[in-house]
Amino acid sequence: MIVVAIDIGGTFTDLIGFDDRAKRFVEAKSLTTPAHLVQGIIDCIRKSGLAASAIDELIHGSTIAINTLIERKGAKTGLIVTKGTRDVYAIGRGNRPEAYNLLFHRHRPLVPRHLTFEVDERIQAGGAVHRVLDHASLKAACAALKAEGVEAVAVCFLHSYVNPDHERLAGEAIRAALPDTYLSLSHEILREYREFERTSTTAVNAYIGPKVGGYVKSLNANLGGTGFRGDLSIMRSNGGVMTPEVAQERPVAMMESGPVGGIIASARVGQALGLPNVISFDMGGTTAKASLVRDGEPTMAPGYYVGGYASGDPVMVPMIDVVEVGAGGGSIAWIDDIGALKVGPQSAGADPGPIAYRGGGTEPTITDANVVLGRLDPDNFLGGQMKLDAAAATDGIKKKIADPLGMTAIAAAQAIVEIGINKMSLAVREVSVEKGYDPRDFTLVASGGAGPLHVLAIARELHIPQVIVPLFPSHFSALGMLLADERHDFIRTSYADLASLDFEQLVTVHEEMAKEAMAGLRHAKNAELQVHLDIRYVGQEFALSVPVTLAQLKKADHRAIRLAFDRLYEHRYAHSSPDEAVEMVNIRLAVVGKRPRLKFPALKATGKAKPVRTRKVYFDDPRKASVAPVYKRASLGAGAKVAGPALIEEHGTTTVLFPGDICKVAASGELIIAVKAAT
Amino acid sequence: MSKPIKKPKGKAKRSVKALDAVTLEVIRNALPAVANEMAADLQRTSYNMMIYEVRDFCTALIDPNGELISQNVGGVSHFVADLGVLIVDGMKRYGAKGFKPGDVIITNHQAVAGQHLNNVVIYMPYFYKGELLMFNMVRAHWIDIGGTSTGFGAGPQVADPWFEGLQLDQLKIYEGGILNETLYRVIKDNIRFPESSLGDMKSQMAACRLGGRRMDELFDKYGRDTILAAIEQIFRETEQKCRNVVAKLPDGVYEASASIDDDGVRKGEPVPIHVKVTVKGGGMTIDLSGCSLERKAGINSRTLAGARVAYKALTGPLDPVNEGSFRALDVIIPEGNIMMARFPAPMAGWSAIVPTVVDTIVAALAKAMPGKVPAGHHGLLGGAVVFFGMHPKTNKRFVVQSLEGGGWGGRPYEDGESGTVSVCQGDVRNGSIEGIELKCPVMVESRALRRDSCGAGKHRGGLGIDMEVSNLVEGHWNFEQTRRTKCPPWGLWNGTAGDTGAYLLKLPGESVFRETSGARLPVPVGAHAIVRTGGGGGWGNPLERDPERVRSDVREDLISREAARDLYGVVVGSDFSIDRAATAELRKQRQGTDQSGRNGERGS
Repeated sequence: MIVVAIDIGGTFTDLIGFDDRAKRFVEAKSLTTPAHLVQGIIDCIRKSGLAASAIDELIHGSTIAINTLIERKGAKTGLIVTKGTRDVYAIGRGNRPEAYNLLFHRHRPLVPRHLTFEVDERIQAGGAVHRVLDHASLKAACAALKAEGVEAVAVCFLHSYVNPDHERLAGEAIRAALPDTYLSLSHEILREYREFERTSTTAVNAYIGPKVGGYVKSLNANLGGTGFRGDLSIMRSNGGVMTPEVAQERPVAMMESGPVGGIIASARVGQALGLPNVISFDMGGTTAKASLVRDGEPTMAPGYYVGGYASGDPVMVPMIDVVEVGAGGGSIAWIDDIGALKVGPQSAGADPGPIAYRGGGTEPTITDANVVLGRLDPDNFLGGQMKLDAAAATDGIKKKIADPLGMTAIAAAQAIVEIGINKMSLAVREVSVEKGYDPRDFTLVASGGAGPLHVLAIARELHIPQVIVPLFPSHFSALGMLLADERHDFIRTSYADLASLDFEQLVTVHEEMAKEAMAGLRHAKNAELQVHLDIRYVGQEFALSVPVTLAQLKKADHRAIRLAFDRLYEHRYAHSSPDEAVEMVNIRLAVVGKRPRLKFPALKATGKAKPVRTRKVYFDDPRKASVAPVYKRASLGAGAKVAGPALIEEHGTTTVLFPGDICKVAASGELIIAVKAAT
Repeated sequence: MSKPIKKPKGKAKRSVKALDAVTLEVIRNALPAVANEMAADLQRTSYNMMIYEVRDFCTALIDPNGELISQNVGGVSHFVADLGVLIVDGMKRYGAKGFKPGDVIITNHQAVAGQHLNNVVIYMPYFYKGELLMFNMVRAHWIDIGGTSTGFGAGPQVADPWFEGLQLDQLKIYEGGILNETLYRVIKDNIRFPESSLGDMKSQMAACRLGGRRMDELFDKYGRDTILAAIEQIFRETEQKCRNVVAKLPDGVYEASASIDDDGVRKGEPVPIHVKVTVKGGGMTIDLSGCSLERKAGINSRTLAGARVAYKALTGPLDPVNEGSFRALDVIIPEGNIMMARFPAPMAGWSAIVPTVVDTIVAALAKAMPGKVPAGHHGLLGGAVVFFGMHPKTNKRFVVQSLEGGGWGGRPYEDGESGTVSVCQGDVRNGSIEGIELKCPVMVESRALRRDSCGAGKHRGGLGIDMEVSNLVEGHWNFEQTRRTKCPPWGLWNGTAGDTGAYLLKLPGESVFRETSGARLPVPVGAHAIVRTGGGGGWGNPLERDPERVRSDVREDLISREAARDLYGVVVGSDFSIDRAATAELRKQRQGTDQSGRNGERGS
C-alpha cells in the first residue's frame, strides 16, 4: 500500500509518502503557489517520483480554509435568521477584551446587514414551536437574496439545536429558490446553544464554502485525471480526516488542518515508544505551538476565535487544543522605550527574514541569536543549500541590542534566546500546568524547523526529564496526516439536571448521532465511538466534558457519571463540591474510523556515533564557548549514543544538546534525549 | 469640605541590585501570568453570571504596603483602583504579625472598600519561608449579599448600607486554615442565593491559593531578593513608560464637564461632573474636586477608578497593570466628594457615574491628543436587563441578567463601534438569548441595533441597542438606570451627540410602549419590556463624511434617508444611489451653519 500526505503551508507544500511493501519513505517539497493550489499538489506528486496511479490513499491538509477567511476572500453570503435577531451577528457578546483600549475593534461580520433577513418563526427553549414558520417572509427573503446574487446562504434560527424543523423547512425552500447557492443550516454545523457563536460558525462555513468546497471538488476531479484511483481524505481541525464529500459540506472543519498534523504525529510517535503522555512542541518561523496528549489522545477544545479572542470570528467546531505564542525563529528582538529587552511578537518572517539570511532583514531575530551562539552552523543550514551570514548577525545584535544594553554580543544573543525560551515555556505551561497536569509527567516532542534547536532549554526550564526529536521533524505535520484516523465530532445541547436526566431520551439522541456519524464514514468497519457529557454545577456556565460509556447511559448510571465529574473537577481546579446539584448541558459524540496502521521500517544499527566536525558553541556561560561535536543525523544508527554538548544536524533543523544531556537513537529512528536535571 | 487627599506616593526605594535583562523580563511576564491564571480559574469555576459572563471581578497580588504587584486584565476596568487601601487597612487592623498561613479575610465594608456591598473581597496572606511578602486577592460581584442587593446590586434609592445588605468588615472567615463556622452561618442565613455566593467564595479562595502556589514556584526559582528587586524595578520602569507618553503632550490645564440627569432620589436635579487635568513635564494631575458633593442616593463611592481608567487608557492600554502604572498620576478628590464619600453614605450604585467621569477626562484631553481621543460613548454601565421572580412550576428563584452595550464615539480615523459595553467594562459579555431562555421563563423578542441612534460626524458614532423581553411568568423588573438625557454622548470637533438610553414597558392589553423607571416593579405574565442603550457621538463635521459611506449606512439601514439628508447633506435615492447634484447643493447650503457637537476646547 502506498499512502501519501500533502500539507500545504504558507511557504512550502510538503509531501511525505510511505510505501508499505518496500518499507520506504518518499519526501518532496515545493513552493506553495496560492493561485494554483491544485496544480501545486499534482506537481509535488510528480516531483516525488510516485506514480499517481500507484497511490492508494492521499491525505491532504491545506491553509485554504483559514486563508479564505482571514483574507476575506470568501463568497457573497446572505443570512436568514429568526425575527428579532437580525443584529445578533453584529452585536455578538458586546464585549471588549482589550479593557483599556479606547480604540478597540470588534469582530467584523461576514454578512452585511442588508443581506441579513428575518423570518417570522419561533421555537422555544424546550423545542416547542411558539410561532410556526411564516413561508411568506421566507419567500421574500429568498427572492431578495436571489436578486442580490448571493453565492452562499447561512440560516440560523433560535433554538434550532433542539428543534431543527424550521431550519430544515427553510433549507428546502432555499434550495428550491436558489438551487445554485451554497447552503449552510446552523443545526447541521453546530447543534449547541448560544446563537451568536452558532451564527458565526455557520456564516464562516457558508462564506468559505463555495471556494473551499470548489477546491476540494476540483482536487478530487483533477487527481482522477492523473490516474489516481485511491481514496482522497481531507485533514480537519479535530485531528482526524474526512472524505471530500464531508469536506465540501463542512469546510469550516478544515480550518486548522495544518498545525494539528504535528500533534497527531506526536501522539502516535509517543504511543509507539510506550509514552502515551507527551507534549507536542512545534516551533516555526513566526510562532511556537504547544499541545498536550494524554493517554495517546490529544486534548480537544470546543472551538476558537479566528484572528484572536479580542476581535476574531468565533468558530465553535471541536479542534485540538493548541496554545500558540508569538515566538519563532524569525521573531524580532527589540528594546522598548524604557530599555527592556523584548522578543516578538513581530516576526521578520521568511521575507525579509533574519539578518543572517541576507534577504534584506535588518532586525535581529532568534535565528540570528542562534547563529551568533554557534548553535546554527552558517555553512550547513538546510543541508548547506543556504549560507548564513554570521558576521552580519553578530553585527546586528551588537548594534541593536548589545550596545544599548551595555553587554557583549554573545551575552545579548543568549538573552534573546532565553527570553524566547521563557515565552515558549509559558505556552507549554498553559497546556499542562493550567489544566492540572504536571509537565514533569510528560515527554516533550519537538518539531518544526526551530523546535529541536530550543527544546532542551525548554525542558530544563520546566523540569521535563525527557525529550523526543522524531523522524522528519520539519515535515512533521505531513507525517501526522499519514497517521491520522477518520474522525467526526457531533454535539447536541440537551439541558437537564443530572439527577432527573431522562437517560432513555439521551440514548435515543446518541443513536441518532451515531447513525448520522456512521453514514458518512469510510472506515466504518473499524469504528470507535467516544461519548462525553458536558456537565457543570447548577449555576455555573462553564462545563467539563466528562467521558462516559454507552453502557453507563443505558443503565442510567448517574452516580458513576457524577463521580467522574467530581473527580475531573477536582483534578482541574483542585476543589470540588460532591454535595451540590449538577446539570448536563451537551452530549458529545466522537466517531473515529481507524485507518490501517502503517508499520515504519526499523533503523539499522551502524555502530558508534562519529562526529563530522566540532564547533564552538555558547551554552550557559556567555564568556566561554564549549567545543561541541557535530553529528549528521543520517549517520546515526539505532542504539547510537550522543552526549551533550553536541549538535545533531539534519536537513531542516538542528538538535542542540546541552552539556549533560544524553541522546540515544531508538530502533524506530527517534532521538530520545534524557535531559540533564537543572542544578 | 475636608482637606484634599492625594494618592500616596511610591514607597521608599528598596535597595535594588542590578538585575540581568533576562531575569527581569521573565519576572515581568510571570507576574501578570499568575494573576491571569487566577482569573481564568475563578471564571471557570464560578456560579454566577456576574463572574463568568460579566467578569465583574479582579484578581491581584498586593504587597503588605498596599502596592499592586500585578492584576488580571480583561474584566471590569474600574477594578484597577481601590485594592491597596484594603491591605493597608487590614495591616492596620491585624498588624504585620496578625496574619498567619491559612487565614482568609472577607470584607466589603464601605468605609474602606468604597463600593457596593455585592463586591466581596477575599484575600489571603502569602508567606515565603515564614515571611509575609504579599497578599493574594480576589474581588468579585456576588449575585446577592442580602438586603436589596439582588442581581447587579441595589439601586440609588437604597438609603444606607444596612438597607443594602450584609456588611463584612475585615473578618477572618478562616483562621489558620480553620473555618469560622459562626461567621459562615451568618453569611449563609443572610443572603438569597447562598449556594451560588458561597460557591463563589470557594472559587475565590481557590484562586488565591493557586496564586500562592505559583508565587512559591517563582520564589523558589529566583529567590526572595531577586523577585522583590525585580518588582520594584518593574514599578519604576512602568512609571517611566507612562511619563514618556505624557511628556509628549503639551503642558497645560485641560478641563471638561458633563452631568448625570439626577441621582435617582432628587429627581431632576443634575449631578455635575467636572474634571481638571494638569499636564506638566510628564506628570499628570487629575482633579475631580469639581464633581458633585456626596449625595443622599446610592451613587456615591470611594474610588480612584475614574481617574485611573482614563489615565491607563491614554498611557498604555495594552500593558499589564502594576503600581508603577499610576505613580506618575496624582489624583485629587476631596473627602465628601461623590467619589470620596464618607461612611455611611449609600453606595449601592457606586459605579454608575464612573464611565461618564472617565469619558469626561478623556474628552478634556482631546485637544492635547487629538489623534487619539474619540467622541463620547454611551457612557453608562450598559442597559441592565434584570428580571427576577419565583418559577411557579419549580418553586425556584430565577434572575435574568444581561448587560447590553451601546454605541461608542467616532474616532479620528474611523467610525465608533456599536453595541459594546462601557469604558469601565472590558471582557463583559451579554447573556446569549438561548442561554437566558434555557435558564429563565422569558422570551427575548429582539436584540437589535437602533437606527439613527448614532451621533453624526465625519466618522459617526456607533449604534445603541433595543433588547425586548417578554415574561412567561409573573415577576419583577429592575428599571434602575443612570440617565444622561441632558448630557447625551457628546460629539467632538463638530460631530453631533448620540441618542440616549431608556427603559420602556408595555403591559398586557396595552398597545404602545411607555418610558418607565423604578426598582422591583411587579409585572404580570405577558408584559413586554425594552432595555434601550444610547449611541456614540460623532467625530468631525458630518458634512465632510464621504457620501459613499453615508450611502452605505442608508443601505445597511443604520441611518435613515432623512438623517442622511438632514445631518450629512447627502441625498440618497430609493435605489440607494447618491443624487450627486442635490448633495452638492445641500452641502453647500449647510457649510457654515452651526453644528452642535462639543469640540476639544470647551466643556458643555
